[in-house]
Amino acid sequence: MNEYRYDNQTVQGFILSAIFWGVVGIVVGLLISVQLWAPAANFAPYLTYGRLRPVHTNGLAFGLGVGAIFGLSFWIVMRLCKRPLRFPKLARVQLWLFNVGIAAAAVTLLLGYTQSNEYAELEWPLDVAIVVLWVMFAVNVFGTILKRREEQMYVSLWYIIATVVAVAVLYIVNNLSVPAGLWKSYHVFAGVNSANVQWWYGHNAVGFVFTTPILAMFYYFLPKATGLPIFSHRLSIVAFWSLVFAYLWTGAHHLVYSPLPDWLQTLGIVFTVFLIAPSWGSVVNGYYTVGQDWSKMRSSYLTKFFVLGITFYGLQTVQGPTQALRVVSQLIHYTDWVPGHVHMGTMGWVTMVVTASIYYVIPKIYGTEIFSEKLANVHFWLVLVGQLLFSITMWITGIRQGWMWKATDVEGKLVYRNFIDTIAGNYPYWHTRTFAGLVFAAGMLVFVYNVLMTIRKGRALERSEASGAPATVTAA
Amino acid sequence: MSGAIYKKPILFAVMALAVVLVGTVATMAYPLLRADMHVKVEGLKPLPALELAGRDIYQREGCVGCHTQTVRPLKSEVVRYKGKNAKEPTARYSLAGEFAYDHPFLWGSKRTGPDLAFEGWIKPSVDWQKAHLENPQKLVARSNMPAYAFISKEPVDGEAVAASMRALRRVGVPYTDADVAGAADAVKGKTNMDALVAYVVSLGKAVDRAKKLPARVDLAEANPLGQTPEVVERGHKLFETNGCTACHGDDARGQEGVAPSLVDDEFLGVKGDLPDAAYAAMIQFGSDVKPALGRPGVAVGGMPSNDIDEDDVWAVVSWLRSQKAHEAGEHHQAAEHK
Repeated sequence: MNEYRYDNQTVQGFILSAIFWGVVGIVVGLLISVQLWAPAANFAPYLTYGRLRPVHTNGLAFGLGVGAIFGLSFWIVMRLCKRPLRFPKLARVQLWLFNVGIAAAAVTLLLGYTQSNEYAELEWPLDVAIVVLWVMFAVNVFGTILKRREEQMYVSLWYIIATVVAVAVLYIVNNLSVPAGLWKSYHVFAGVNSANVQWWYGHNAVGFVFTTPILAMFYYFLPKATGLPIFSHRLSIVAFWSLVFAYLWTGAHHLVYSPLPDWLQTLGIVFTVFLIAPSWGSVVNGYYTVGQDWSKMRSSYLTKFFVLGITFYGLQTVQGPTQALRVVSQLIHYTDWVPGHVHMGTMGWVTMVVTASIYYVIPKIYGTEIFSEKLANVHFWLVLVGQLLFSITMWITGIRQGWMWKATDVEGKLVYRNFIDTIAGNYPYWHTRTFAGLVFAAGMLVFVYNVLMTIRKGRALERSEASGAPATVTAA
Repeated sequence: MSGAIYKKPILFAVMALAVVLVGTVATMAYPLLRADMHVKVEGLKPLPALELAGRDIYQREGCVGCHTQTVRPLKSEVVRYKGKNAKEPTARYSLAGEFAYDHPFLWGSKRTGPDLAFEGWIKPSVDWQKAHLENPQKLVARSNMPAYAFISKEPVDGEAVAASMRALRRVGVPYTDADVAGAADAVKGKTNMDALVAYVVSLGKAVDRAKKLPARVDLAEANPLGQTPEVVERGHKLFETNGCTACHGDDARGQEGVAPSLVDDEFLGVKGDLPDAAYAAMIQFGSDVKPALGRPGVAVGGMPSNDIDEDDVWAVVSWLRSQKAHEAGEHHQAAEHK
């Protein structure tokens, strides 16, 4: 039994906040998916597609994603350092500031205050708040690691440290702007430089929000949930350093065939293709870890979340580099293929791993079991089916529309001259996407219910323990 | 790799930072210093006050979420977005130098609606743009674009435009003191809709992509195709597939406040008929050809040029003629019945 108490309430606070913003983000996502095929569902001025789309992306990347990253990183850091957070009160303040910040982000985006750079839409006062938030996080992470009671730092800590460092550099540089008022500013970079800096940032927001912290969770919670050690420590080392090295070179693959100089595009494409190797380093490590005992897929309900999660990570990191190739890019870039790709990563990889990690953490806080494994399985299948239907539908739409844009006859004239003819055929697919989103959302609601019921069960247990009634609590 | 750094968090963080910075310096910082990242097309000017206000609205409404602003150097794209007419072959697609004053860039990443990089050449009609923004489905029935009628009611904030110019000046956009001082006056009485439309029809105009105009149109040239049913039917189809209907309506009768009827007894603001060659020239070269027709009329016009084969142009004229005759016949009958 440990002689100290971990800051579980802070961790749970971040998890519940992440879940709340996750639900908001998913509901907005469903609304904008409807707006794509039913323009009457736009309610001007605040609830138009143009203003809501960044609410969806920011709400899920920063509300759900970063909220979960804060909470679960704290959990991982405390356990791997064998001590509570160094500055527990700072972490509580960070939790409150986080929620105020995300709420302010949503409101300002609906008001049309935006820098127009993807995943960096928030105007400068909020950027300042986010930097403060990140510094708070960094202080606690480094403060706790420096005073750790375990000499060796485990893989997850490497990924968390890399996340803290890289996000700081990325966020500050890309948000450099000159204010023209309280809620209006202009990127200091112009034209091609603005584009290049933004996508250096934009792609690495994927790298250091949707990849490295999620890998930190994967490397920690997979062995915890299965009881199986990570297959190869050496592979972890090689994959880590090559991943954080290569990621930063790849932003230009978002700008293939744009006015960005060709040499930069090519450099970005080359490193993007290379990135398959470190990504698959973790995929292989994950498979071989579970491969030590595949029966865990049956005996431990969380195993399949991690296995499917790393599978979609593997698919994502092959599909991404394929898209970067010029010949593929010219067909699918700017089409619905790309949202299909992004949603495989977010709905497949990130969601699978984050929800499984939360399933692991919440019962542990109360020394109990999950409310319902059966519901967790229902959640798993709904999310899996919803995501597959979503992504596959969008890939078909993208290829279809990309081909219609490019189709020319023997004389070099366009076959589909009216742009609207290429949109109109998307409607059935967009209906399907909304349906897929509903299936996914239903799965996520089952997850939320399961988590909330587990907390309720845990609190009841605590109360009965406090009143002296016999309880079967095991140490976390 | 030595195991020591996995026991030294500060050293580890410094190493991670160093590794992260290699790619950052090579692909983000170093390009900032290169000449090929600081090109500017000849004669590029900062956006005037109204257009700048419009760009701010474009940002505010998240237009960039659905519209890209880069024509890629692909055959199909050069054709679709009318880059083909560019004086310089390299300007058939978007050039880095066109965006030297774009803070931030607005190229976008998703093309749910069409690309707008060359919109000033493709749909220069202010009337059309305005009507379309207010009610997209009225002009493009199957469109999924939201309606932006509400911005027609918002006056442009002149002070904000001046503040924007001052801020942009700090990052190197060459606005003069006179520009800043005159900003509020320049947008006086204008709405955000006027501003947005002014911005949209300015896109791509920094580079000459105008179709080369003939010095004179031979008005005596007759339609070689005649009026056979096959030709008329082909012309009708071409009228639809080339998007003429988006402005002039399905039956070419025009749309109030957007584009004129092509089948009534008025053409280019003058009553009475015009020779076939005048119609053909307008279809091929757009409003800019008016002086060559000897009918300058209103100096600006919203009709764009079209990259349509001459044979197809004549087919469209044939169809318009047949409609015109049909229309006149109906009028005639109506008059008789009275």
